[in-house]
Amino acid sequence: MRSITLKRVKKLINGSPIIDDISLVIPAGKFFALLGPSGCGKTTLLRLIAGLEKLDSGQIFMGDEDISDCPINERPINIVFQNYALFPHLNVFENIAYSLRLKKMPKILIQQKVLKILEAFNLEGHIYKLPSQLSGGQQQRVALARAIVGEPDLLLLDEPLAALDFKLREKVLLELIELQEKLKITFVYVTHDQFEALTVADQMAIMNHDGTIEQIGRPKEIYEFPISSFVAKFVGTTNILPGTLRNLEGEPEIEITDLGKFKVDISQKKSWMSEGCEMMISIRPEKILITKKVAHNFSNHLTGHVHSIVYHGRSTQYNLILKNGMRLQVFEQNEEHFPQEVIDYDNEVHLYWQKENAVLLER
Amino acid sequence: MRKEKSSELPFAIGIPALLWQVLFFYLPLLFIVGTSVILLAEDGSFAGLSFKSFGNFLTPVYARVIFFSLLLGISNTVICLVIGYPLAYFLAFTGKKFKNFLLFLLIVPFWTNFLLHVYAWFFVLEREGVVNTLLMRLGVIHEPIHFLNSVFSIMIMMVYYYLPFMVLPIYSSLERFDRRLIEASLDLGATSLETFRKIVLPLTLRGISAGFFLVYIPSFAEFAIPELMGGDKLMFVGNAISHYILGEGTGSLGASFTVISCTVLLLTAGGFYLLLNRLLTPKQRCDG
Repeated sequence: MRSITLKRVKKLINGSPIIDDISLVIPAGKFFALLGPSGCGKTTLLRLIAGLEKLDSGQIFMGDEDISDCPINERPINIVFQNYALFPHLNVFENIAYSLRLKKMPKILIQQKVLKILEAFNLEGHIYKLPSQLSGGQQQRVALARAIVGEPDLLLLDEPLAALDFKLREKVLLELIELQEKLKITFVYVTHDQFEALTVADQMAIMNHDGTIEQIGRPKEIYEFPISSFVAKFVGTTNILPGTLRNLEGEPEIEITDLGKFKVDISQKKSWMSEGCEMMISIRPEKILITKKVAHNFSNHLTGHVHSIVYHGRSTQYNLILKNGMRLQVFEQNEEHFPQEVIDYDNEVHLYWQKENAVLLER
Repeated sequence: MRKEKSSELPFAIGIPALLWQVLFFYLPLLFIVGTSVILLAEDGSFAGLSFKSFGNFLTPVYARVIFFSLLLGISNTVICLVIGYPLAYFLAFTGKKFKNFLLFLLIVPFWTNFLLHVYAWFFVLEREGVVNTLLMRLGVIHEPIHFLNSVFSIMIMMVYYYLPFMVLPIYSSLERFDRRLIEASLDLGATSLETFRKIVLPLTLRGISAGFFLVYIPSFAEFAIPELMGGDKLMFVGNAISHYILGEGTGSLGASFTVISCTVLLLTAGGFYLLLNRLLTPKQRCDG
């Protein structure tokens, strides 16, 4: 098992960079998610790794081996295309056997391998069917089976769930995680869906519109400690409040115009932090306590006016207006059938959060 | 394979075309078949049926005429396919911005009269023509070559004229071709050649098949090109038929030869159809 290393990879399309100087290590045997908004070049990055696109500069290594100039059909990398790209004139068996036949493998061995994988993917009943006779979920499994039957070192998945309906997606996601753990092949999963990325990934990278990588880390690190407002807003939902950093030497605070001063945690001190600098804090909506009563043991307190309430089933979303006109979102878990206090439109409420739950961001 | 959508339009929409077919195709065909077997008395009245006129053609001379026509049809079709497929491939995949312009160039000859094409080729191929002059100037040859009135000049004109009929259906099947299939094949370890043989070719067989018949059927019966470009040296079915039909009192001979050559054409085209269809049906083997 070998890791993949991208060194200063660059790709231009019509003269402007779509991938701009990306360096990245994809650890061996891990489930790696590449998350980014539509059109940010994440699919291009995947195609560069697969060898479907040529690099304009930089190198790609597999272990210690430079594979930048290795032709696509010689790379031990397979890709599951977004539309699956199954061969329409070949039946399920022949689609899966395609790469094995090219390797001139003995026929009996091909049959064994294909039948084994058909069984593992619950496709035994569809051996003779053409792709057009399969459902979306079955086509997706055939595409996956075709890509892994040749035992590649690396499997690339380009938004593989985009064509499936919502219920099926969750199921397939869990199947993918199991499959990766069983095969121990490195998976690189490209998606614009933060839920998918957070669910599957051991490691994830967030790409932005400039064709660079904004942050790399474990899903929990990315969600809890985003390093920029782009990451904070793209992964999950958040409240961004701009202010000024004060009292850096004593008990640090953020001063927000017409709202007051709020305690912040700067145990992870960054170089940009200085007394009086303009900055922002990001607070996740579920980290804020909303109540009509007075609560204790919280570092920060605010009052707000309930503007609208959206019931989501497992949680309720409150949209609040603060006294300086800013808006704030709060999620509350619906833990009980009948909450003891009912919060309604136009109510004045207390909002509390701990200083550790406010992430400081450079402005 | 793709399933055809069932049409919701009423049957009546096909009636004008059907009328046209019956009036100008099926009725004349019936007339030809009738003429080939009906005997007429001196006064023009019906005098019975006879297959006697067919007997005149059971000679090696006419077997040769039919054989050469088959050869003309098949060789023209094969040459058009061999030249046309790469051309269609180029147009569909690498033409890009110039695609429409190049397609326009391909069909622009259809806008001018057929005879003009023939004269243009005379000008190119004659003794003092463009090719001979060029080759003499370059010192490649010292005596002008007789291009005209030969099999060579017939084939040049045939391929020139029929090429678009081969290119267009193949182009349209390649145009619709999902290029990700090529990427998937390469990704799974196939070389470009293997990808072409296993993926591109089978998936464009329908276009090839359409082009094949569009070229084969009319070129088997072609008479204008052999007549104009081949002098009187070679006789093909088209020439024989026009000779008898237009001749004095040989109408029934012409009709029976038409029936014979149509039968040959139908049988060979049917054979090619079965062959191509076999190639089109996906192989359902799983035995490895």
